[in-house]
Amino acid sequence: MIRFVARKELTELVRDGRFHWTGIILALLLITALATGWQRYASYQDLQSSAQATSNTQWLKQGDKNPHSAAHYGNYAFKPAGPLSYFDSGVEAYTGTAVFMEAHKQNFALARPASDLNAVARFGDLTGAFILQVLVPLIIIFLGFTAFSGERDSGTLRQLLSMGVRRRDILWGKAIGIGAGVALIVVPCLVLGALALSLAELNTSAGFMARMSVLVSTYGAYAAIFLFLTLAVSAWAKSGRHALIALVGFWAFTAFIAPKAVTEISKAVCPTPAYGEFMADMRTMQAKGFDGVSPWRRIQEMQAELYQEYGVNSVAELPVYWPATRMQKLEELDHDVFDYHYNNLRQAYTDQRRLQDSFGVIAPILSLRSVSMAMSGTDLITHIEFMNATESYRRNMVAKMNGYLSKAAASLNDSFSSSNYMTADEEVFAIVPPFEFDQPTVGQALGEHTRNFVILTIWLAFAVTASVAAVDRLSTEAR
Amino acid sequence: MQNGDRFEPEREGGTQVLEAINLKKTYGSHEALKGLNLTINAGDIYCLLGANGAGKTTTINLFLNFIDPSGGSAKVNGIDVTENPLETKKFLAYIPEQVMLYPNLTGLENIQYFARLGGHDEYGDQDLRGFLTRCGLQAEAADRRVSTYSKGMRQKVGVAIALAKQAKALLLDEPTSGLDPKASNEFSELLVQLQNEGAAILMATHDLFRAKETGTRIGIMREGNLMQEMTTAEVSHADVERIYLEHMH
Repeated sequence: MIRFVARKELTELVRDGRFHWTGIILALLLITALATGWQRYASYQDLQSSAQATSNTQWLKQGDKNPHSAAHYGNYAFKPAGPLSYFDSGVEAYTGTAVFMEAHKQNFALARPASDLNAVARFGDLTGAFILQVLVPLIIIFLGFTAFSGERDSGTLRQLLSMGVRRRDILWGKAIGIGAGVALIVVPCLVLGALALSLAELNTSAGFMARMSVLVSTYGAYAAIFLFLTLAVSAWAKSGRHALIALVGFWAFTAFIAPKAVTEISKAVCPTPAYGEFMADMRTMQAKGFDGVSPWRRIQEMQAELYQEYGVNSVAELPVYWPATRMQKLEELDHDVFDYHYNNLRQAYTDQRRLQDSFGVIAPILSLRSVSMAMSGTDLITHIEFMNATESYRRNMVAKMNGYLSKAAASLNDSFSSSNYMTADEEVFAIVPPFEFDQPTVGQALGEHTRNFVILTIWLAFAVTASVAAVDRLSTEAR
Repeated sequence: MQNGDRFEPEREGGTQVLEAINLKKTYGSHEALKGLNLTINAGDIYCLLGANGAGKTTTINLFLNFIDPSGGSAKVNGIDVTENPLETKKFLAYIPEQVMLYPNLTGLENIQYFARLGGHDEYGDQDLRGFLTRCGLQAEAADRRVSTYSKGMRQKVGVAIALAKQAKALLLDEPTSGLDPKASNEFSELLVQLQNEGAAILMATHDLFRAKETGTRIGIMREGNLMQEMTTAEVSHADVERIYLEHMH
């Protein structure tokens, strides 16, 4: 029975002018979005890899100099594009794409694409994700709002219900029929996109297929939520007009009002410091010492320990180059301060994101958005992982240079002339391996999103239950 | 409110197809139907006459379980419609004043869809075309979209759907109003065919002439009451009109 209803529903839909127009428009937008996304991804990848290569070469070819100075000269880390960033650009536009890694300082990421964009960009990129999150629900509403209300308005509902069909069979049939209609528009575009991408030697490293399958099922569930909500409202509403107004209202709320409002709310609830304030606080703590013991006291302690360790009484007798050892100690004292401040800041951002995710309870797009970014590798967690990787790299780079210097220049401890300067060359600089960033695994990326999957599941259960309830009390007459 | 089952003795035979037992429907303080008792046997064409608002459509809606009764019961083939709404609908076919079909589907697709929903997915295209032509639809029209159909053609598809459903009882709500006399006559001939095949037919109508011509029995309703019943064979056209008008005053 269900399949007869589904087939009839699809036949009717495909013959409807609404279907043709929405189908053509959606297909054009989706193909454009994927194509431009792909183009952006490819040119970014080129830029990123060539910039990284240039910067790595500059590090090696910086000219012979003191290893500690080389650490000051530093290197850049350029963030590789997320594996599916052409589909969902996530927060990449706002988080920055390049990090300068140097001695003594932990820097923020630079080069935020958003700073080069005009106000129009605030409406959201035309990405595949935007279309699936915002436009597809609208199309489901347009194709589905008459499912029951239209049959009641036109009178076929009486004919239909007089046949002795279970109402729920009609519901499932309509859901399948309309769902198939939407899939008929969306799936070919996505398959086309996927084929084009597979031809273009995409980074299909481990986890790519897993990410894709999570995306497909999450977006599928999201579409099903809207489908069943549409059917519920269509069965519940007085007329097709009422159904359309209610559904489009809800759509506008979830697509535009909720995300904006929730961003503001999360900023108010979990405030983050201003840049200047953040930097000043960090500098104050660096000067005072993380545990309140001044760094100079710590250096003195370390010096005493070293004297004891090597059984000596003066710097000149130390078998390690004292200035380098001291600088490394100072650097390490800063680590706790950096970790404390940056972790607090990232915790605030994470809290904001979790709060936004929780609001998925009123607007499912918020939960979907979060999962989508995570799977595309363009979310905050990926960015934090990247920043952590740059910081580890930076610490290793500085430690390697200071470590080399403290051994290689050990004999210079007693000469305080300007000739105590030792230089190193490319061969020494090469002990710091080039920067590499491994995307978080799917497991890591998913770990944070249990809440979102729960919220989306609740939404789906609610939508299905509501549609069943509405169909059970469906009346042939307008209420 | 009482359960009709308890007070109704088993009837003999199996000929009572439609049965209303002290059937009531109230909307707020308005009594749309005030305890209707009605029995329609297989082979009967029972015509319900009465002004708009007399309770004719309410009666049909109650048999279809589109609305719940406020009292009494409606039975199809001896089965209570509120207790077994899906089962009783298997025996029923409904033809409203305007048979509403899916305009983007062809006549053939419409009858196929409704036949399948009615539990008859065994028909091939030829069987379905047969039903349509038997009901007087031109053969070529079956493959045209219903949006191009006239009202008369849609009513024919409505009867064809009833035929395909092999319904034991037909509920007709002013099915011929708005049809031209020829179409109306063709429709009545179809009803007689169905009657001869043993269907029980309940038809709400304003057409006194057709009621006397095609009906076997006539019931006159006013303000939710069944005022009088008569057997058409025992009265003349003039009698029908006179009795009807008497009740309307």
